[in-house]
Amino acid sequence: MPDPSKLDPSSPAIQVQNIRKTFGVVNALNGISFDLNTGEFLTLFGPNGAGKTTLIKILAGLTKPTSGTATVAGYDVQNGDSGLRRDIGVISHTSCLYADLTALENLTFYAKMYGLDNAKERAMQAIEDVGLKGRMHDRIRTFSRGMQQRISIARAVIHNPSILFLDEPFTGLDPHGSNVLKQYLHSLHTEKRTIIMTTHDISCGLEMSDRVAVQVKGKFAFMGKSNELDKNNFEDRYFEIINDGK
Amino acid sequence: MRQYLNQVTTIVWKDFVTEFKTRELFSSMFIFALLVIVIFIFSIDLSIVKANQVGPGILWVAFLFAGTLGLNRSFMLEKENGCLEGLILTPADRTAIYFGKMLSNLVFLLIMEAFILPLFMIFFNVDLIAHLGPLLLVIFLGTVGFCAIGTLLSSLSSNLKTREIMLPILLYPLIVPVVIGAVRLTGQLLAGETLGSMMNWVGLILAFDIIYIGVSIITIDHILEE
Repeated sequence: MPDPSKLDPSSPAIQVQNIRKTFGVVNALNGISFDLNTGEFLTLFGPNGAGKTTLIKILAGLTKPTSGTATVAGYDVQNGDSGLRRDIGVISHTSCLYADLTALENLTFYAKMYGLDNAKERAMQAIEDVGLKGRMHDRIRTFSRGMQQRISIARAVIHNPSILFLDEPFTGLDPHGSNVLKQYLHSLHTEKRTIIMTTHDISCGLEMSDRVAVQVKGKFAFMGKSNELDKNNFEDRYFEIINDGK
Repeated sequence: MRQYLNQVTTIVWKDFVTEFKTRELFSSMFIFALLVIVIFIFSIDLSIVKANQVGPGILWVAFLFAGTLGLNRSFMLEKENGCLEGLILTPADRTAIYFGKMLSNLVFLLIMEAFILPLFMIFFNVDLIAHLGPLLLVIFLGTVGFCAIGTLLSSLSSNLKTREIMLPILLYPLIVPVVIGAVRLTGQLLAGETLGSMMNWVGLILAFDIIYIGVSIITIDHILEE
């Protein structure tokens, strides 16, 4: 098993080769292939049911592909290597936070599970980083959706992962919450983290990422660099791509 | 190995902090076990049957039913807000997650049993003090078996819509050998026999405890995978 710390920084952080996933008779992924370089930010657009979450789950090692290969930070995602889990942070639809524990208890718990030294101090720092220092002793149950999402992000990055998977992180956030999250994700991106994010917010995805892809019916119908796209007309193009893909 | 043990104890710590704040698990298990004993004490005429003949069965039924409530709640807690996914995403070995949850269930159940035993002694007018050491050993071994297979099945059924129904349906047939052994041992201890004369039953429970833990270690990886 390759040691990710010894990988060539110019080599792709994520390599996906012809990934397919079927659930019974449903083809969730229909042969997706792409590479993502270290420090790159890829946004995945696509309608509901396009297989974006399935792709994220496969890359995070949460579910196995039916066929194809995927390598993340040098680890084959199918091997269930704990090294992979040390190198990635995942934000999914759910917060993964215990409702009856405080923000500090939640993050201390995760810091300990990651085997971090000074778990409590790391947890306090992570809460401070997402701007919720004043609420660290409050139960998660009392937090708004936006606050929970911020603590969820702190959970996902507490072990300082080099790769982040964000599955619709803006869902349910008000404009202020979205703005705070955008700024935080931007700061994570400038720290040379490799990020894959799924979102339905086209302007936000274009603004934040280096590359965008449109996933339709389990495959990439479009992939391109954000700075080469006409940001004003991309939404119309997005709908064309979706209609063509159907 | 040290990190593995830290992860196991961290899960136990998390479950205890949660229980300390909510007091949902212990109170529901204790009240349920107490109700089972109270219902039986009013439905059985202890002037006709001896307490040491019917008592052990009732005691273990109370432990089992109350324990099932606890097991159901155990993984429901992990499913809320997708916490199980967060747990699986940590570098912790899946068996560390299993042992953490199993130990939490075991300790909660043992505490509940410690509260129920004196009440059982009063209601059934049996002397447990004279056989306390061997009795505690039997209860411990039986509870370990129950929690070992129960935690595994709880993780399995937690993905099902009908988890509250499925857990007992899956669990009770598998736990039969341990329950039979525990009831027989408890009954004979109350009748005044020594544990030394019933080592075959102790061996049976111990063997099933080891089998349940072994099966859990082998299968937990596949069960926790989506």
